Amino acid sequence: MILFVLLSIPLLACCLAVLARTRRWMETIHLVSAAGSLIAALFLVAQVLRQGSVSQTNGFLYADALSALVALLTAFVYLACAPYAIGYLRRDEVDGTLAVAGDYDGLLRRLRMFYSLMPLFCFCMFLVVVANNLGVMWIAIEGTTLASIFLVTFYGRPNSLEAAWKYAMIGGVGLSMALFGTVLTYYSAHQVMGTDSLSALNWSVLALQAPHFDKTVMRLAFILILLGYGTKAGLAPMHTWKPDAYCEAPVPVGALMSTAVLNCAVYGLARYYVLTVGCLGPAFASNLLILFGLLSVGVAVPFIMVQRSSRRLLAYSSIDHGGIMVLGLGFGGMLGVLGMLLHMTYHTAIKPLLFLAVGNVQQHTGNDALRRGASGLVHVLPISAPLFLLGALAVTGTPPFGMFQSEFMVLRAGFAAQHLGLSILFVICVVMIFCGFFSHVAQLVLGPPSGAPREFGSHWKTYPVIGLALVVIVMGFWLPAPLYQLIERAAHIVEVHP
Amino acid sequence: MHFWQDPQFGNKMITLMAALVLVLQIMMVTQRWLITNIRAFALQSFLLACIANTIAYYNNAPHIYAAAALMLLVKAILLPIVFVRLVTKIEIRQEIEPVVNAPISVIVTGLLTLLAYVIAESLHRPDEPLGPASLGHNTLAVAIALFLIGFFMMVNRRKALTQVLALLSLENGIFLAAISLTYGMPMIVEVGIFFDVLVAGMVLAILVYRIRETFDSTDVSQLSHLKG
Repeated sequence: MILFVLLSIPLLACCLAVLARTRRWMETIHLVSAAGSLIAALFLVAQVLRQGSVSQTNGFLYADALSALVALLTAFVYLACAPYAIGYLRRDEVDGTLAVAGDYDGLLRRLRMFYSLMPLFCFCMFLVVVANNLGVMWIAIEGTTLASIFLVTFYGRPNSLEAAWKYAMIGGVGLSMALFGTVLTYYSAHQVMGTDSLSALNWSVLALQAPHFDKTVMRLAFILILLGYGTKAGLAPMHTWKPDAYCEAPVPVGALMSTAVLNCAVYGLARYYVLTVGCLGPAFASNLLILFGLLSVGVAVPFIMVQRSSRRLLAYSSIDHGGIMVLGLGFGGMLGVLGMLLHMTYHTAIKPLLFLAVGNVQQHTGNDALRRGASGLVHVLPISAPLFLLGALAVTGTPPFGMFQSEFMVLRAGFAAQHLGLSILFVICVVMIFCGFFSHVAQLVLGPPSGAPREFGSHWKTYPVIGLALVVIVMGFWLPAPLYQLIERAAHIVEVHP
Repeated sequence: MHFWQDPQFGNKMITLMAALVLVLQIMMVTQRWLITNIRAFALQSFLLACIANTIAYYNNAPHIYAAAALMLLVKAILLPIVFVRLVTKIEIRQEIEPVVNAPISVIVTGLLTLLAYVIAESLHRPDEPLGPASLGHNTLAVAIALFLIGFFMMVNRRKALTQVLALLSLENGIFLAAISLTYGMPMIVEVGIFFDVLVAGMVLAILVYRIRETFDSTDVSQLSHLKG
């Protein structure tokens, strides 16, 4: 029952937003849907912790601890972005970036598109995690791309069209590779499972039969899946769409894409990782994952050092963190997988904070430039600017924030797996990213005041940032026991061989 | 027994149609007019639907009929109509400008086909009663060739709409692989994939239209402002 509820809330919100006639209705539906999704996700977590796994309609929908964790994180970002989006779009309307002044119908059309696509986007992400069938999971991941293309082109600027085009094309090629990988997985399993039945692609069934799969085919399938879902996660060298899409989309969408979509793609990789390890042993999948993970972390370094736009800075940071998650998965062992899942959790709390704070900065100063233009923002944005600095400290893995812990865990997993050189390389990259990222943000926030007027911003835009900052601080010191239990159980699902 | 009930005849028909599909793909790489490209794509999709029907008939696999019907409806009828209307609406009937010229493209295509045969050979299981052995692994090789040539077409084209066509023909390769390897995906997955393809086609068509409106051209090499 709970899985149906989780899926139907955002879907219903999408339909209602299409029908809504006034802006106030759209905003209300949006908020209620986000809050409802989080409540449903919490119920799901509670049920999974009680029963181990939940499945419905003959195992078509299936959720275990891993699904519940990713669903919870998605719902969390959705709720954090929902009130912010309202304030953000109202401010855009005042600034006149949405429609020609006085054109109320045009404005309403724009808003309707936003408020209906946003829940649809979240619906697809929930479907990714609760679909048991790997084919349906692919459909849902493709769905997230399709739902978000018009969110990227929301402002209709030439640059946003370019970003959306890259996003659609690179994403399309990547996902077609993932589809081929899915077909091959089905093929490698079909001698064991038989064809023409829906359950023959169900992950929960496949995971038990993995040792009997055709090994040659599974090897090819995993490579294709890694390239495909790796594109969606923005792993280097398929990451090029990411900075463009993040900096052209509205800020709340950027926040969702950089955390929730990344989580969904890593989730897909983890599911296939289990099958591949079961079939071929850990070495093959691990080496590939380590390669792509380290490459992503490495690619992010120079771009973060010389970055000129704060939104793109966040995008490269997100490429870096996607790489760290994949690296954790690749190093393997209980430690590596636990590190990956913890990293996912912390990243999902911290990155939206940065995005929303940058959104406030951008709307206040009118651009997202680093180094030239704005500086000394702490004097003009007394709430958002310091919290941006706090988020920057947290996202670069400074203690006491959680990310220090999870990155350290990934590092320990690397040493435990005898990858000495690679682990040292990883540390060097992380330190360089810290220097680059922090010098940019410090200059932006702390430098000499540039004389812009002081502003507190609307409640809609301030409180989500404060709330997220509180979550980040609290999670640095204390992870709620049920959440940790959930993460630990999810790690046991991914790492079957202790 | 009529001659068409002989499974051997069915196999030959499938191989023949698969070869035609490959020929159409190579034609799409070399020819120069956008409208012809769309028609070649529609014909290719139609042939794939025929292959699916043939396989369904000879192997008593009724659910492939549904996949064939969807193929026919979505890729051979609906999307080509949408694209042709788009082309007439935005008036870009001019030539496609490939990055690499036609003779070199043909050589690359030949090499990719060769590569596809090598890959298909490694997946070939002669001892297995079901799957590619029963169809002749030619079909699988053609499927992989479509996939690889589709990639090549994507990087070889500058016009936005032709990139979309390349992406869709690449997906045709996956469809052929799926029906020749495992008699298609499970029904609901098949329906979902076609739904996604349809929506993707529409979304991309709208995107092409808006790019044309904004940039006054559909040359995607102009889309290069975002860097760093």
